[in-house]
Amino acid sequence: MDENGSAFDAVERGPEGSERSTGTPRSGIGDPASHPSVTALRARFGATVLHHEVQAGDQHVVFVDAASNRAVLEWLRDDPEHRYDLLVDVTAVDYGGGNPIQIVYQLWSVGHKRALRVKCELPLDGLSIDSVVPLWKTADWLEREVFDLFGVDFRDHPDLRRILMPQNYAEGHPLRKDFPLRGRFSRAEQTRRALSQDYHDDYTPEALEVGGAPGLAPPEPNGSIDGPEEAP
Amino acid sequence: MGLRDREGGDPLSLAEVQALGQGEARQGGLLGFGSPTFLTTKVDFVVNWARRNSLWPMPFGTACCAIEMMASAASNFDLARFGMERMSFSPRQADVLICAGRVPYKLAPVLRRIWDQMMQPKWSISMGACASSGGVFDTYSMVQGIDTIIPVDVYVPGCPPRPEGLIYGLMMIQEKIRHESLSDHYTLRAEDPSLVGRPHADAEEVEALAGPFGNSTQQDQLTSLAQTTRPERSEDLLP
Repeated sequence: MDENGSAFDAVERGPEGSERSTGTPRSGIGDPASHPSVTALRARFGATVLHHEVQAGDQHVVFVDAASNRAVLEWLRDDPEHRYDLLVDVTAVDYGGGNPIQIVYQLWSVGHKRALRVKCELPLDGLSIDSVVPLWKTADWLEREVFDLFGVDFRDHPDLRRILMPQNYAEGHPLRKDFPLRGRFSRAEQTRRALSQDYHDDYTPEALEVGGAPGLAPPEPNGSIDGPEEAP
Repeated sequence: MGLRDREGGDPLSLAEVQALGQGEARQGGLLGFGSPTFLTTKVDFVVNWARRNSLWPMPFGTACCAIEMMASAASNFDLARFGMERMSFSPRQADVLICAGRVPYKLAPVLRRIWDQMMQPKWSISMGACASSGGVFDTYSMVQGIDTIIPVDVYVPGCPPRPEGLIYGLMMIQEKIRHESLSDHYTLRAEDPSLVGRPHADAEEVEALAGPFGNSTQQDQLTSLAQTTRPERSEDLLP
């Protein structure tokens, strides 16, 4: 429907960047000075702040050295001018081709109503970073998800284990770019392993109790629903 | 004579149970008549009528198909006219398992356990494309068809199937029940106790489903890309 030909030409051209489509960007939105936290970060941490950019029109992204992520995030959370008290998400991006994996911290300040995205790059042979669970409790499960799907080790995490994939999943970390879409094992092997999950390996009987009240849990025979094994 | 009634206390295998039934049939036991008589056909008729008109579904709804299952139970399509309004969330009291939605491998042992906990007679419906074959989710985490986990009686295709489709599948179950016979008890109803918790399809069957296109773990996002060309469109169509 556009003047250059049929709509298929636009499809083959691919999506246009937001800068090109809107002409000149809104004044000041792309300027680092327009986000007070970015300028304050640069003033306080200096060389730790590696880069700043604006993505998707209005999302400010700050690239920070991975070794000092906890210091930067703690200051962003505690400083009264910025007070990013809500950690919206911890996630990761694998761009493939041997590029470093980026850990993404999405922050929101409830009082100041500001968003900030902090990114840290980790090389593929050094996928280890400090956990921010001491700063935000919600990072517990968020970092478990990043560990499960990308294989990033979070130092000082209280309970780093798989959260989405089964606990006996042995095919690797699925969201890496070198991970095949359908997994590494055959379907028969995946079926067999799925049905051989045994949560008794991971949980104590107290953790499995019904309703949290001790003594009320029905007795669970060893992995069998046929009932107690017959006496020899 | 019970299933465990043997020296050593080992449960009988399926073949032995079936031979048991055949033996009783030859002796003219209660349920095992060699040939149908007037009385057995009437008993079969009544029992099958009662069973098929009072099926209590066990709704194993995981995803979008569950919405359509709820819609079938709601007023516009109404499963109550089939006697199925009492959705039993306890498998112990359910007759037909409706697996509505995609099943990840992490959920597979739960599905198997629910199926094992259901009492005989029981039937199962695989509702939707994901439960029947994995649907659009041919990935590392999704079961490619629940018939690798539990035995399935009826497959209802669709994404999601319309409520009329699910009702048609339930009516197929009713038709299947209509043609059952109590003398088939041992062959039809007996389950191998040693298979509790194990996958329903053996490895060769599952591997037979893995072909060069789809369902193969040797493919990744790059090798499975197909080269597409711009489709030909006639000139008289609007741009």
